[in-house]
Amino acid sequence: MNERQDAVEVVGLRKVFERRARRGLLRRAQGEEKTLIAVDGIDFRVKRGEIFGLLGPNGAGKTTTIKMLCTLLSPTSGTARVAGHDVVREAAKVRCSLGTVLTGERSVYWKLTGRENLRYYAALYRIPRRKARERIAELLERLELAGRADELVEKYSSGMKQRLALARALLPSPPILLLDEPTVGLDPQAARNLRQTIFDLKAEGKTVLLTTHYMAEADELCDRIAIIDQGRIIALDSPAALKEGLGAKEVVRLEIQGEPNGLGDALRALALVESVAVRPSANGAGTCELQVITSNSRRSIGPIIESVRAAGHEVVHLQVVQPTLEDVFIRLTGKSLRD
Amino acid sequence: MGILKRVRDGLGIMLAVAVKELIQFRRYPSWVIAVFIWPLLFPIMSVFSARALAGPEGQALHAFAALSGTTDYTGYIIVGLVMWMWLNMTLWTLGSFMRSEQIRGTLEATWLCPVSRLGVLLGATCSQLLISMVNLTVSLIAFRYIWGFRIVGDLGLTALLFILSAAAVYGLGIAFASLVMWVKEANAMVFLVRGLFMVFCGMTYPLAVLPGWMRIVSRGLPLTYSIDGIRAVALAGAGLADVMGHIAALAAFAVVTLVAGFVAFRWTERRVLRTGALGHH
Ligand SMILES: Nc1ncnc2c1ncn2[C@@H]1O[C@H](COP(=O)(O)OP(=O)(O)OP(=O)(O)O)[C@@H](O)[C@H]1O
Ligand SMILES: [Mg+2]
Repeated sequence: MNERQDAVEVVGLRKVFERRARRGLLRRAQGEEKTLIAVDGIDFRVKRGEIFGLLGPNGAGKTTTIKMLCTLLSPTSGTARVAGHDVVREAAKVRCSLGTVLTGERSVYWKLTGRENLRYYAALYRIPRRKARERIAELLERLELAGRADELVEKYSSGMKQRLALARALLPSPPILLLDEPTVGLDPQAARNLRQTIFDLKAEGKTVLLTTHYMAEADELCDRIAIIDQGRIIALDSPAALKEGLGAKEVVRLEIQGEPNGLGDALRALALVESVAVRPSANGAGTCELQVITSNSRRSIGPIIESVRAAGHEVVHLQVVQPTLEDVFIRLTGKSLRD
Repeated sequence: MGILKRVRDGLGIMLAVAVKELIQFRRYPSWVIAVFIWPLLFPIMSVFSARALAGPEGQALHAFAALSGTTDYTGYIIVGLVMWMWLNMTLWTLGSFMRSEQIRGTLEATWLCPVSRLGVLLGATCSQLLISMVNLTVSLIAFRYIWGFRIVGDLGLTALLFILSAAAVYGLGIAFASLVMWVKEANAMVFLVRGLFMVFCGMTYPLAVLPGWMRIVSRGLPLTYSIDGIRAVALAGAGLADVMGHIAALAAFAVVTLVAGFVAFRWTERRVLRTGALGHH
């Protein structure tokens, strides 16, 4: 990869899956054909040495994107280059410059020990035996697995399996790492440790492209974020710039009783209110949540409450908060990232 | 990249996969059953059925000999069963190798490495070969002491027939592994294929007892020639000239199934890249 080249370069990338209704053993025959657009023409560049996040809800197309970059899936159209190599025409070179962790704990053999796993993968990466031994010892030490390296993986905790999967990806010392939901299923402590490891990797000059659906994680970890929904990138910038882009200092979150018919429009008509998003709340109490973005909450909160009351609703809960990435997402899509 | 280096890399990968498979195999306690108990238990039923049908003094053996050319029904059955067990083990191991890697999620991790994917499958084949050899040796020693089984004919010729059969069976196994990767189901497929071979290859009976149309199907299966040829050489002392036809047929089957296996594998590899069927859905 030459000095000025981007680590990852994606242009008009698209993936369309053909779907067949599946039934029975020989499940094709009468299945109706449908197509599903998982990734719908995305463009982005990951600069060398940065941590870049793909943030989006379930089914947004994050994993599909990662799989096209690591050569496990062929794009339907568009191009992607990793370390300057085309993912279709130079797949072998791409694989050599990448360390990928997909389904973390499932990518290692549970009936082998941690060390045996790494030894096996080192052989697949064709690392000479003596060098492999040193590299494995070093990685086990670094990822705090050295003490239990000779135990079967089935006895490891999820966090340990995840770290072993990362060690596997780091075996060939790749300049670029692809991590699909690296902290999913980890307890807060383990997730924090893993985030620290990712920072350390960046400090060593590695480029990291990761996916997540935790906003706080993306905010904390990433230099830049692409927010992806239904296969499209709907915003791409640094976390701070994305939040500033809301053009507001505050977000008023209201929880109200009943269906807010027409209330959104009434609120939008108020001075200082910039946008309103409405969605049913997740607590199952039959209430609704309103996200009102305002440039001055002190002056607009009175009129907001009056409008809600005037529409015959009761305010159950009210919060004034600094905007988060979640607010950015709600603003852009009208729905919550957690749904 | 030089061809020599590629060959060396390929062998290295095969060895790594084989070692890993053997370590895993040993860690499942059921391996003892697979290697030592099952091959001994399996022929007993057929041998005793044959004994019952032959009558207490072996009166019915003449009828058997008239069709099969031998009265040594124990040896006759053992050759048939050993060959069939070989097929069975190969299909299971290669079919379930891909499938279990797919379910475990390790297939994608393996595919992410810059390696020949066929090399990975061939590695699994090697470890399977080793296990099958142990299995075969154990069975042959045990049969010698339990049933007095003995190879009377030319060992070299027996080995030749066996190697050609094994090649044909591995071709089938590779095609089978490819099939399993996108049908995503190994068990039903194994039952179907081995069932066909069990019925049509004359495992425990001479093909002469089959109706005409079934005999035609038999001629399309490699194991028919293996079993018949090995019986002729090992049990009745036939020479090269007697089994030339068998050798030619087996060689042809080996070429066809190996080519079909490789083509099916490449095709599956490409298909999987398009559909993402590598992961487990
Ligand atoms: N191999 C496949 N065949 C058919 N459809 C697929 C396949 N893989 C993914 N999809 C579909 O493509 C869409 C995008 O899936 P993808 O896994 O990329 O989402 P994601 O952003 O990673 O979501 P999650 O947060 O759930 O992991 C989904 O609707 C999914 O059902
Ligand atoms: Mg995903």
